[in-house]
Amino acid sequence: MLSLKDVRKSYGATRALDGMSLQVDSGEIVAVLGPNGAGKTTAIEIAIGLRAPDAGEVRLFDRSPRSPQTRLRLGVTPQESGFPDALSVEEIVRFGASHYPHPADAADVMKAFGLEALSQRRAGTLSGGESRRLAVALAFAGNPDLVVLDEPTTGLDVESRRRLWDVVRDYAAGHSVLFTTHYLEEAQALATRVVVVDAGRVLFDGSTGDMRRRFGVRRVSYVGREGQVAITIDDTDEYVRTLVRDGVAFSNLEIVPPTLEEAFLTVTGGRK
Amino acid sequence: MNALLLTRAHARIALLDLFRSPGYMVPTVAFPALFYALFDLQYARTQASVADATTLAFVAFAVTGVCLYQFGVGIAAERGRPWERYLRTLPAAVTVRFGARIATALVFAVLAAGCVAGFSRVTTPIDLNALQWVRVSLCVLAGGVPFVLIGMTIGYWVSARAAVPVATAINLLLAYAGGLWMPPHFLPAFVQHVSPYLPTRQLADLLWSVWTGAAASHALAGLAIYTAVFGAIAAIGYRRDERKRYA
Repeated sequence: MLSLKDVRKSYGATRALDGMSLQVDSGEIVAVLGPNGAGKTTAIEIAIGLRAPDAGEVRLFDRSPRSPQTRLRLGVTPQESGFPDALSVEEIVRFGASHYPHPADAADVMKAFGLEALSQRRAGTLSGGESRRLAVALAFAGNPDLVVLDEPTTGLDVESRRRLWDVVRDYAAGHSVLFTTHYLEEAQALATRVVVVDAGRVLFDGSTGDMRRRFGVRRVSYVGREGQVAITIDDTDEYVRTLVRDGVAFSNLEIVPPTLEEAFLTVTGGRK
Repeated sequence: MNALLLTRAHARIALLDLFRSPGYMVPTVAFPALFYALFDLQYARTQASVADATTLAFVAFAVTGVCLYQFGVGIAAERGRPWERYLRTLPAAVTVRFGARIATALVFAVLAAGCVAGFSRVTTPIDLNALQWVRVSLCVLAGGVPFVLIGMTIGYWVSARAAVPVATAINLLLAYAGGLWMPPHFLPAFVQHVSPYLPTRQLADLLWSVWTGAAASHALAGLAIYTAVFGAIAAIGYRRDERKRYA
């Protein structure tokens, strides 16, 4: 569906992508995670044809992403959203949908994204969260095969973010989705696969579970003779066996599984 | 998708947005007629020949203003906006967006020029016939091209913040020195020397030729040169901006 192979891109002396490869197959929801300046947005912009790579190969539906014909199967939410102030939500959704051969029903899209009650509101009067919901709804309005969302929930409060995840999760069925995010929680909530990037390279590509298993560390805590003990260790099973074998007295033993955040920090060398 | 239908969809939303923005709509459409009422109506009220000449000059003023603002201020303000970025992700060729902008400008040019003509019709003894108005419309369409390109030059070379003052200064200076507000022979001597070489004067000469029947080859040649020069500068500016934002 989408593939970037060994893509390189520099802005002057700054190298944004340094041989990045990325693939999205049909039915996948792929999260691109990375610290600020990792190259996430550049990768997305090249993938959807907004920018041209210096080197490497980019294919979208086996064609160049720069062609308008290719974008007939692509819906996008750019990193920043902004709309003509005087247009209503419904006019904007219908306008976006009108570019596609088999668009979704505008009323259904607005309902799914909680925009039904706002349909006649002018875009200039929308709150940040409402505006972002509209931007994400637009990506789905044309009923495209692939939806690309660049930091879809940036700037939203926790509640709005979670509500948008629910909507995207429900609505993503039948679509392939590629999204970038700073929020590990978001990747965990939505993605079937995570690609961690830093300094323009892919550091990890796999499921969230794989990431936790490969890069996560566990914490063991217990109350010993000299008080509370808490340590971080890769192999917690072996550690507990050693405690028992050595006859160490302990109580309130707790083993905390690795979080995606810890795994992410391990992958990126501590950069967030 | 059909490019014409898409162009219509883009033009429709641009027009809806602008029609609902009184701050843009009212000055753009009414300003030239208001200027006409303030400066020239007193001379045009009693004499048909003065009414014809001044009305055509203010039709030219209406069209140049719309072109300079729609393309100059419009492009400068929009090229960095998120909405423009979203439009680029849609399956529509760049020609669709340009076509819609031209159609939008055309609508406002017709409204602004129509407002001048309508006001003149009601308040002066203007006696241009229907055929002359058709020829005026065709001359305005052709003569408006260099102003579209001057507008695009402003849009691609000037920042959003500077675009309004720059477009205003250029519009007012060219209108004054081109003799759109007062007959050219009323202008100060040094301005009279420069005036024939300005695109506004050439557009006015073209429109006046419909009324007087005089040859307009000098005006057409001048407008063609401005078209070539500003077409090239605007194209370089467009490519420069594309490289900066989307290369």
